[in-house]
Amino acid sequence: MSDPAFFDGIVKILFVCVIVTSAYIITTKNLISLVRVYALQSLALMAIALSLAWYENSAILLAIAILTLVFKVILIPYFIATVQEKIRIKRDIEFHFLSPTSSLLISLALMIVIYITLSHVLSDTLAKGSLFFFGAVIGISLVLMGMMVTFSRKRAITKVLGYLSMENGVLLFGLFATELPFIIEFLIVIDLVILILLTTILTVGIDSTLEEYHNRLHRFYLWEEQEESP
Amino acid sequence: MILVAFAVTAIAAIVLIALSRTHRQMNAAAIGQAIVFMAIATWILFFVQVPVDTFIVGSGYFFIDHLGLLEVLVATFIFVLAAVYAQGYVGNLLASHELEAGSLRLFYAAWCLLELMIVLAFFSDNLALFWIFAELTTVISAMLIAILSARENIDAALKYIFVASVAMIFAFVGLIFLFEITRSALGAGTLNWTALMAHASSFPPEMTVAAFLFIFIGFAAKSGIFPFHTWLPEAHAKAPSAVSAVLSGVLLNVGIYGIIRVFAVVHQTAAAAIVTPVLLLFGIFSIAIAAISMLPEKNLKKLIAFSSIENMGLMLVGIAVATPLAIFWVLVQVIAHALTKASLFFSAGILHRQYRSHLSADAPDDMYDVFRFQPLAAWGIILGGLAIIGMPPFLAFFSKFFILLSLDSLSPWVLAIVLVLIFIAASAIGFFVISTFGRTTPPGETCDLVPYRTPLSMKAPIVILLALVLALGLMFPAGGYAFITQIVMELRFA
Repeated sequence: MSDPAFFDGIVKILFVCVIVTSAYIITTKNLISLVRVYALQSLALMAIALSLAWYENSAILLAIAILTLVFKVILIPYFIATVQEKIRIKRDIEFHFLSPTSSLLISLALMIVIYITLSHVLSDTLAKGSLFFFGAVIGISLVLMGMMVTFSRKRAITKVLGYLSMENGVLLFGLFATELPFIIEFLIVIDLVILILLTTILTVGIDSTLEEYHNRLHRFYLWEEQEESP
Repeated sequence: MILVAFAVTAIAAIVLIALSRTHRQMNAAAIGQAIVFMAIATWILFFVQVPVDTFIVGSGYFFIDHLGLLEVLVATFIFVLAAVYAQGYVGNLLASHELEAGSLRLFYAAWCLLELMIVLAFFSDNLALFWIFAELTTVISAMLIAILSARENIDAALKYIFVASVAMIFAFVGLIFLFEITRSALGAGTLNWTALMAHASSFPPEMTVAAFLFIFIGFAAKSGIFPFHTWLPEAHAKAPSAVSAVLSGVLLNVGIYGIIRVFAVVHQTAAAAIVTPVLLLFGIFSIAIAAISMLPEKNLKKLIAFSSIENMGLMLVGIAVATPLAIFWVLVQVIAHALTKASLFFSAGILHRQYRSHLSADAPDDMYDVFRFQPLAAWGIILGGLAIIGMPPFLAFFSKFFILLSLDSLSPWVLAIVLVLIFIAASAIGFFVISTFGRTTPPGETCDLVPYRTPLSMKAPIVILLALVLALGLMFPAGGYAFITQIVMELRFA
């Protein structure tokens, strides 16, 4: 059943899915759909890992796919969604430096730059135009796009999603750039790290946004009072 | 087995902290853990044949070599003093309700866990494992920063987590590159540092440069190198002083340690010629940014934090020179900086307790009559300041002098620039001391400040550290000389 052309087609479709989701993560203002899209992106990654596992008949890749499913598609998005419900922030409309359109344009440029650079660096190991080369390019682009989200948004929770999307990029890059007998040993721990990271940010950081939220409401209220009093 | 001993001690300490009720008990557990850690490290130093690489047989995840041991010795020593210092300092934080009693247990548990993570990071043979432990130290130390119930602390901690973690992701991409390099060069991929060192000469230069640059981004952020230093002044200034001392004296070393390790591999390949100017450039920029930011700085802890950036930059310059002499003195500088900077933060902590009502995090320090209220802390800042800028009898003088001397062989012009920048940084500290410590209340007015009774546990660490830095400067032990020479040999710079 492992027909190369079929496999090729499937993985390419999944690549497109990944790019579309990351474009959505960069531009959206709606926090709830942001989490859902992150879960979708992880699902696409899982599908890529799964098809690679099927194509190469590798148990390790299968294990990675399962780990991705458990942690990134189910647990982490669920966790974040719960916290979001608690703090009742629905939208993140503050873009620090970049408007959605310009960040899309920048990420396009980034991808082209990465394509050119990687084709220089990886020239002796991977054939240009191969699926594996594309995987590496998209992986690194995802890392940079995630970084853009982390630094251009104000809310801690959006930053977390940017970070998670970066981490997805590393996973994708790792899947394609090398044969990773080692990633399995560390993916578990890395996921653990992310979970710990999240919990700190959530116990600590989300409080800060909550406080900010209350402060703003308070200020707004005060301001209204002042308007009425004269 | 040795690592198991470390882990068991840490777990025991954390269990004790979970069971204990008073601050004194928790602090005693933390001190106990730190002393046991230092004892084990000293035992390794004297009785174990270093390097050791058979902890978990056949896997090669951990090992102990001279560089790791040196870093662990410095780290555990600072942890002992910082834990002793925390007894008085955290006690006062509690009394003034800056730290809630409920988060005390979390504070000490995180403290003990952080020490374990740092030791494990320094003893990791596998670079990916080192990466994970380094990342964990970021998360845990950010918790220690955010523990004070102030809004600014949370902001500083968040900034620290995001800048450091995002940069560390790049380091992981670099590690994947490195793995792929070894896979195509050796047949089987590996990230074991010992294996990398053994086969480094067969690595292709382009890929190695790419791998190093990615890894450098991550570890540079950990050690506060420009342009990833933005988190450092705020995090160090807003953390409780006992934590600041650990952050500056120990955690910054984790980043530099990673850079030294990876550079030791790259140094043996043709890629070294491309990488060296990059290191030099970032080092000089770090010194420049730090020196210029220090000049108008009015907040003591921020001033000391910027001085850390300056020192890290100087170490990076020394690494870039990469002669055996330069690497030797970079390692001495690591020791000198860690000890001196810890003492400076301890002194700043006492002043912070004394004048806290006037000290918001960003406001300029409003100190007066320092010599009447806190003579020891004032002298601690003055002598520590002299030590950190590299005044002769102190240890940092020799390390800075010889790093600069070896820089001369690279380019006298660069030396001149660095010299001017270091002079600016030194004068910034001098200016701060003269303008702030000279202030007194005019004779007619009454001073309503209540003197803060500094407990002995806060005074002793400062005296010990300064005495040690002075003693090491006056006569560096021959054993230490041989030890560091051994490190330079193991890193294959000689």
